Amino acid sequence: MSRGRLFFVVVLAGVIAAVLWRVLAPSSAHTVVVYVSHDQVFSEPILNDFQRDTGILIKAVYDTEETKSAGVMNRLIAEKANPQADVYWANEPIRAEVLRLRGVARSYRSPSAAGIPAQFRNADGYWTGFSARARILIVHRGLRDKPRSIQAYTDPRFNGRAVIANPLFGTTTAHIAALFNAWGDDRVEVFLDAMRRNGVHISSSNGESADQVARGAFDFALVDSDDVYSRERQGQPVEGIYPDQEGGGPGCFIVPNAVLLIKDGPHPAAGKKLIDYLLSRETERKLAFSDAAQIPLHPGVETPADVRRLETLNVMQVDYAAVAARMQAFQPWLRDWVGH
Amino acid sequence: MRRLTLLLVVVTLVIVGLLPLAVMLGKSVIVDGRLTFAVYEKLFSNSGQYWVPIRHSLMLAALTAGGATLTGVPLGLLLGKTDLPMRRILAILFSIPLLLPPYILAVCWFNLLASDGILAPIIPERTLELLSHRLFDLPGCLWVLVSAFMPLVMILTLACLHAVNPRLEEAGRLIARWPAVLWRVTLPAILPGILFAAILVFLLALGEVGVPMYLRYPVLPVETLTQFAAFYDFGAAAAAASPLLAIVLAVLALEHLLLRDQTYRLRPTTPGRRMLSIRLRGWRVPAMLVVGLLATAIVVLPLLALIVSSLSPFAYGDAWLRAADALGRSLVFAGVGATLLTAVGFLCGYLIHNRALRIWRAVDTLTLLLFTLPGTVIGIGLVALWNRSGSAFLYASSALVIFAYIAQYTALTSRISTATLANVPPSLEEAAQMIGAPWFARLAYVVVPAAFPGVLAAWFTAFIFCFRDLGASMVVYPAGQDTLPVRIFTLMANGAPSLIAALCVLLVSVTLIAMAILGLLFQGWALRR
Amino acid sequence: MNAIELKAVSKTYDRVPAVDSVSTSIQRGERVVILGPSGCGKTTLLRLVAGLEVPDSGTLSIDGQPVAAGGHNLVEPEQRHIGMVFQDLALWPHMTVSQHLEFALRYDLRTKSADRPARIREVLEMVRMGNRALARPGELSGGQQQRVALARALVANPAILLMDEPLSSLDSDLNLHLRQELLTLYAALGFTLVYVTHNREEAEAIGTRVIAMRDGRTGDSAMTRAKPGNRQS
Repeated sequence: MSRGRLFFVVVLAGVIAAVLWRVLAPSSAHTVVVYVSHDQVFSEPILNDFQRDTGILIKAVYDTEETKSAGVMNRLIAEKANPQADVYWANEPIRAEVLRLRGVARSYRSPSAAGIPAQFRNADGYWTGFSARARILIVHRGLRDKPRSIQAYTDPRFNGRAVIANPLFGTTTAHIAALFNAWGDDRVEVFLDAMRRNGVHISSSNGESADQVARGAFDFALVDSDDVYSRERQGQPVEGIYPDQEGGGPGCFIVPNAVLLIKDGPHPAAGKKLIDYLLSRETERKLAFSDAAQIPLHPGVETPADVRRLETLNVMQVDYAAVAARMQAFQPWLRDWVGH
Repeated sequence: MRRLTLLLVVVTLVIVGLLPLAVMLGKSVIVDGRLTFAVYEKLFSNSGQYWVPIRHSLMLAALTAGGATLTGVPLGLLLGKTDLPMRRILAILFSIPLLLPPYILAVCWFNLLASDGILAPIIPERTLELLSHRLFDLPGCLWVLVSAFMPLVMILTLACLHAVNPRLEEAGRLIARWPAVLWRVTLPAILPGILFAAILVFLLALGEVGVPMYLRYPVLPVETLTQFAAFYDFGAAAAAASPLLAIVLAVLALEHLLLRDQTYRLRPTTPGRRMLSIRLRGWRVPAMLVVGLLATAIVVLPLLALIVSSLSPFAYGDAWLRAADALGRSLVFAGVGATLLTAVGFLCGYLIHNRALRIWRAVDTLTLLLFTLPGTVIGIGLVALWNRSGSAFLYASSALVIFAYIAQYTALTSRISTATLANVPPSLEEAAQMIGAPWFARLAYVVVPAAFPGVLAAWFTAFIFCFRDLGASMVVYPAGQDTLPVRIFTLMANGAPSLIAALCVLLVSVTLIAMAILGLLFQGWALRR
Repeated sequence: MNAIELKAVSKTYDRVPAVDSVSTSIQRGERVVILGPSGCGKTTLLRLVAGLEVPDSGTLSIDGQPVAAGGHNLVEPEQRHIGMVFQDLALWPHMTVSQHLEFALRYDLRTKSADRPARIREVLEMVRMGNRALARPGELSGGQQQRVALARALVANPAILLMDEPLSSLDSDLNLHLRQELLTLYAALGFTLVYVTHNREEAEAIGTRVIAMRDGRTGDSAMTRAKPGNRQS
């Protein structure tokens, strides 16, 4: 065989492989397409269980906070005219709210949502929260006088010793947006400026902040509770402190997962089944016992000893819709603050 | 026929590359159905905000290109032209960082320099702290990117050396010693190849998102990503990427300027003549020492960090369970992608080399621009373009991943083909033309076989880049059909470090094994001929 | 009838004229040598006739039919039925000698596929390469490579054979020898030969007519009476 002929055989084989790939790829009406912003390590087992229990094939697109969820969210918005997904599992309600505002979501009141506090649900059923993380302080165990409030960021004792994830992304953005709503612009700007003057270090993600505290590079960081639990369970010298719990403090910011039905998705019936499944008490129990260690929102769901129950916490009162609306407005200010 | 086929290739590029880009640009000027330049006005009125990232981008790209060239070319000479012991194994070793998404290298270095990392017992704590601190800045970015892209320069140097006519060097050896001959004869002869390698590295570093984001060095592509992630504003994101176009045009102009007075022409080696080899004699040991140190510093250490952290009882079993399907898909996608890229790239290279259509320069510019753009921009463009009810069958398939590969990496195969075609005397094709062979036959029986080493190199390069692609495939892969780098990336969030490390080791070893098998197949086949 | 006719043909590279308004004609069966120093445009002239270059202006006809005019090629090179031997021979390194000829015959509609092997053997015998049919160019001597290039150009029976300094790189003995062979082939096959060289002695030995060329222009066609000893017809 001459070289040229071989070359063309290779090209042909490539094209045939591509076609076969397409033809053989499993495709069935008994399918649900879910886009997931929650960490794959935690969400995949739940989705696998759903597939096993219902026989409905799961097709998932995962994303992580490390990519700033640029993948999935942008994809959902870009696909709006011709949706491919049935369900979006967001790792925080702000994203769900943004999608609602952009007309990507469709209202669905799941029977499983009964019992979840109204604060964590969209009133019109466009999204529903479940299994929450809390925004807590991760503190190095060796630290003697431990911080108890996010005000510690402005405390001269911790000058140059505190780290926070880039507030342009993820749950940190939501947290600061919630503060803007709770305190008003002026107070937050004063707080953030004081924080900057106190030499706060900015990391690329909550995970990285937590790692740096675990290494002793910094004393504390404001992160998500799962960042703390996973490191505690790996035996790293850190502990989690729920901030602002005493004496009328603002309370701790709770970040539930949120699930929503995509408007005009290809498999709405299967999508609703998946939503019912995700919002169930059983899923909340599993997520509490997994390394995600998430706080159930249904009252009375069993949790492991080291996972706090919602009832025992002083929770910051948040209107997630208002937070989402504010976020866009103050992003430019935050960007200057970060110094980009 | 020739015109039609080449036009078809251009149309393909326009469909998979230019149109998505146009859609993105359209979104930046058409808001709510009205034409507006508000995004650009904001961009330029706010230009102070962009100057820093642009300056950083240029600095990082230029320093990376310089660093990779200054290490890659001497390394290529040492490994390709001398009798250095174990040079083949060393060449493979030095190529390994190229197989990993650079982001993972950055993570490796972060773990290496940690206070509990494997370097901790050897390096004083103070130094380690300082190094760790410097990692999160320009030096760290530079170090990681140079080690990631240097192999490209080395490999291209190796490839170019084979095309140098040994008679030129022999003529030089009659009057001077080897160093002078290398400097005055060999290097000028391979200069276009080196320049091409440097430009590739420059553009790769310019478009790199993962490393600067992880090491917190604000560059332009990160700025683009911010527009996507924080504002979900496609128009603004496309606008923020627009300075990249100016940079690409400047680079092309510079290349044109530098190669204009290029009087050397690589002549194909006469059949039966082998490349001249330099005997190092007394320099063997020192050279070996230097190369060994370099290998340790930029390859062995991060690799060791990966392997050490993957050594956990269940890590590999778990990795296999969680990612075997993604691995299989990655191999198929990369194989299909590389094959199509080789074909499209070869025809593009032919078009550019022969200036067969008047728009050859535009084709070259377009492929280079697409190569530089962040994968996310291309990915979202592809989604916006293809996600329509009429093309849903395409959109829901893995075809879009292949489209993304073609859009992003045609520059590689096209440029490699152009460089190879420069070594094929045009008379070979003309001789076939004179005897009446139609264009396809000339291509298939004369030009492709004569350029075969280059075609093969293009395929392997494309395979590597497709296999490790993250940016674009992350946005366009069909639900439930992710690739291995995407899987690694999404599992990285809170996944056990040993699992991630095992997955990375799996990625590297599978690529190496796949390439070794293919290499052996081709070698055996070449020997039989 | 004229085999080749040029009327005011010009070709410019980067504003430097390579062929400058050349008008000339070559009769069927003629042996014409284009003689001139390096860079005078003689190779370009040959490539224009072959169709590998497109003239900027002027008209070029083959067998009375215009093949290039007004800055365009009207007939593509592969349709002109011209054989050509290149200066660097342009042998394909990956093909054997007989594959070269087989490839050349494949696109010649006048030869049936069943007749190809016989024709290949015939032409290889003619150039005395019958015993090297399976060799690749890298395994052949300089003279043998010349013969393969010649065989490839002739195998499809072209009416016109163009040769671009094919013997320039050979030693004088081999050069003389191959000249003789070429003239023998010419006598046997009766093609029109256009031969480019810078060597006056070679020119006078091969051509029945010499066209001198300098700076892209042809001088007055000088009819030379070839020496009787060289005349093989």
